[in-house]
Amino acid sequence: MSNAERTMEIFGVTEEELKKLISVALSSGGDYADLYFEHSISNELNLRDSEVNGAGTHIDYGMGIRVIKGEGTGYAYTEITTMKEMERAAKTAAAIATSGVAKSPPAEISTPLFKERYKAEIPWDGISFADRIPTLVELNNLIFQSDKRVKKVLGKISDSNTKILFFNSLGILAVDERPMVSVAVTCIMQHKGKTENGSSSRSFRKGYEMLSKNLPQELAREVISRTSIQFEAKRPKGGEMPVVMGAGSSGILLHEAIGHAFEADFNRMGTSIFSDKLGKRICSEEISVVDDGTIYANRGSITFDDEGVVSQKTYMVKEGILNSYLHDRISADFYKTLPTGNGRRESFRFMPLPRMRATYMESGKSKEEELIASVKNGLYVNNFSNGQVQIGAGDFTFFVKSGYLIENGKLTSPVKDINIIGNGPEALRDIVGIADNSIIDNGTWTCGKEQYCAVSCGMPSVLVSKLTVGGN
Amino acid sequence: MEENIKNIVDRALEMAKNAGCSDSRAGAEISVQSSFSVRNNMLDRLNSSTGSTLFLQLFIDGRYGYYSTNRTDEKELKEFIGKAAEATKLIAPDHDRILPPKELLFKGETKDLGQFDPSYNQITPEEKREIAFQCSKEIFEKDPRIISTNCEYGDSLESYYMADTQGFCGESKQTSFSVSAECSAIDRDGAKPEAWWYESSMNFSSLEKEGCGKIAMERALARLGPRKMKSGLYNMVLENSVASRVVSPIISALNGSAIHQNNSFLADKLGMKLFPENLYIMDRPHLYGYEGSRFFDSEGLETKSMNIIDGGVIQNYYLNTYNARKLGMEPTIEGPSLLSLSLNNTFPTGIPKVTQKEVLNECGKGILVTGFNGGNSNSASGDFSFGVQGFYFENGIILHPIKEMNVTGNILELWNSLKISGDDPKRGSRWLIPTLMFESVTFNGN
Repeated sequence: MSNAERTMEIFGVTEEELKKLISVALSSGGDYADLYFEHSISNELNLRDSEVNGAGTHIDYGMGIRVIKGEGTGYAYTEITTMKEMERAAKTAAAIATSGVAKSPPAEISTPLFKERYKAEIPWDGISFADRIPTLVELNNLIFQSDKRVKKVLGKISDSNTKILFFNSLGILAVDERPMVSVAVTCIMQHKGKTENGSSSRSFRKGYEMLSKNLPQELAREVISRTSIQFEAKRPKGGEMPVVMGAGSSGILLHEAIGHAFEADFNRMGTSIFSDKLGKRICSEEISVVDDGTIYANRGSITFDDEGVVSQKTYMVKEGILNSYLHDRISADFYKTLPTGNGRRESFRFMPLPRMRATYMESGKSKEEELIASVKNGLYVNNFSNGQVQIGAGDFTFFVKSGYLIENGKLTSPVKDINIIGNGPEALRDIVGIADNSIIDNGTWTCGKEQYCAVSCGMPSVLVSKLTVGGN
Repeated sequence: MEENIKNIVDRALEMAKNAGCSDSRAGAEISVQSSFSVRNNMLDRLNSSTGSTLFLQLFIDGRYGYYSTNRTDEKELKEFIGKAAEATKLIAPDHDRILPPKELLFKGETKDLGQFDPSYNQITPEEKREIAFQCSKEIFEKDPRIISTNCEYGDSLESYYMADTQGFCGESKQTSFSVSAECSAIDRDGAKPEAWWYESSMNFSSLEKEGCGKIAMERALARLGPRKMKSGLYNMVLENSVASRVVSPIISALNGSAIHQNNSFLADKLGMKLFPENLYIMDRPHLYGYEGSRFFDSEGLETKSMNIIDGGVIQNYYLNTYNARKLGMEPTIEGPSLLSLSLNNTFPTGIPKVTQKEVLNECGKGILVTGFNGGNSNSASGDFSFGVQGFYFENGIILHPIKEMNVTGNILELWNSLKISGDDPKRGSRWLIPTLMFESVTFNGN
């Protein structure tokens, strides 16, 4: 039995039934239709008060039917995969089209071979809660042993395995199994009457092998460092200043400042600040920005996207030129180009939209020390919690949990709890130095555009000549 | 449908008992939703769905697990609950994980809270589509500076039933109808500020179907030509549609979990006067016709009318059974139901007398904040820094929009600079927060 046949058996459908559903979906004149089946099992284990005393398992099952007519979309889902219920959903979605000229379902079915982008070496379905517990206990112990100021530790392991069956009116039949695991920890310290907190996390598309011996040590070290620095940190004086963004998690700048504005739905609607900039220079030729769904085991990686399009590495900005938007099938058709494999969705309950995967900037030639040394008065930031953007106005923000003042070219006092705000196109133009240390941050990044989607981001250290810093 | 979810819940409790659980709680939710959206006067999206989920909490000799599934046929459910019980037995006991004290549970009949509109099933797809198109017609091609419009009609029906092994059972049913509009306008420099507006109601007949698009358009056009202002201290007026953003850190800090974990700037502050003496934050869960009203929380604890902040004094924490036991206190309720804020301990009803206009006039000059752009607050210290959008005003008159600015401070200090409150909360929200005016707040700009 092939992988596709095994997956169809899970959802209780045959090839003929898939074709029948596509036929119903196209019965009112839709241009295109797809079916997305999903069976997801997720687990979580919580540590609190030094005990692993909370556990949970969640099952989600269902299928969504999408019909596209022009740029319009009809969408319906059902949690019951009988033909009667699925046909009812197909008819509902079909109503986006009204021409009444039915299209034929695909005569042939093709099952493309996709390159493997992740695999659970030790699948989660054979792992009990008891197998997961030692990781959290060790993490808790390491944190308490490391610093007497630690009062509380909250730890969590979340893992999931999602089986996908996809079929569309082009005859593409694709199946996938998507593992994901995240380990997150929050530490609360008290010292001289003050309380501070810090968090750290790691997330990959991996199996049980993710819970390696090194992981608790790595997370404990990071969370202790992030929390303890807060006791020395102060709020800086606010206002416009140069900011050196540290390598890795500063990729949140890319995600918010330009990533969303490059998503092609905003561009085909003309509402993005970059919607008329394709092929034009938008920043220094030293800058190349990539959205990549092919990094092995990365949180943002996909074998194929949720429209059956192979995962890709897409240059959004190449040597300063706006090279490509991030496309789903609708926008690719609008721009008469090929989809870039960015059509993603939270689950079968949602229609796919252009979404980022792993978004990062390639390395430049400078050294981080040189960037810092070039700033007389400014800020160095390297730990963030959240961000947001206004697509049309271009104003983006990200919240800095911690960083340092730069005074006369040197890192001095720690700073914390400040929001930084800028304008996307201006901030890109204001990047005046790029270091040679680009790395991906493997924290639990989740994007919330209409629906949640796992992503990641990365960055070399960069110097932005001017951003507005919240402060006293 | 209601009978079906009751059956599922009762079966799940029985299966949990048979799997060795000393106690359990189960809840089932059925959600029906539909929406029609119209972009640039063309039908862009239609969405229709019915979903259901069974939630299950298992208590086995101090061990606790929480589970959910939408696979509820007899065989699969039995297997799922059996595995869940076995999994729960593997974790460490915590003897504070128990069902709530029986005497605090909601008992009796759920009275009508005016949250269900029986006409829900009579509204045709054509009517829904027409509402979205009518909204679109208010704005499409009405001004050359408007470059994109998106209008949506949406409705939903949520049915919920919960029971536990102590004999608690409760149910609720709520309909919701909404119209929303988004508009993008183009500025001379190519920037495309957007704005939105929405109206919602639990009754189809009282949904404000007209005017939503026009408000969104006016708000988008008003954002053209923004200026970045100098950093400094400004009076801040918060529009009622976004004022809850500065209430939220207080509510989070009053949550029992944050207090027990020492991760709250309001830990150990019960009974202390930390807010202005005329500030009242009330929870009134039994008022008819409000979305936040409810008779019980997710544990079955009976809701009650209470003041959270009373004359500036912290009067209550939000404590579920677990956190209350950890803190050696009595459970109150897990979180807010229908929240309201005022400076005179009265719940806002009727036509407001003090609206944004009056607040701006009385304030004189400052920044009117109409939206937030990111930012966050530190739960342990109350320090916050938020990106804002809005307008600079003088003599109560709006002069120009602002851009790329942050507002920064500490939540307690901010609330102690509260000078004026309107009585104009936006209806259709679970938190009824009026227009607020704070004096001398730090804004960061040029």
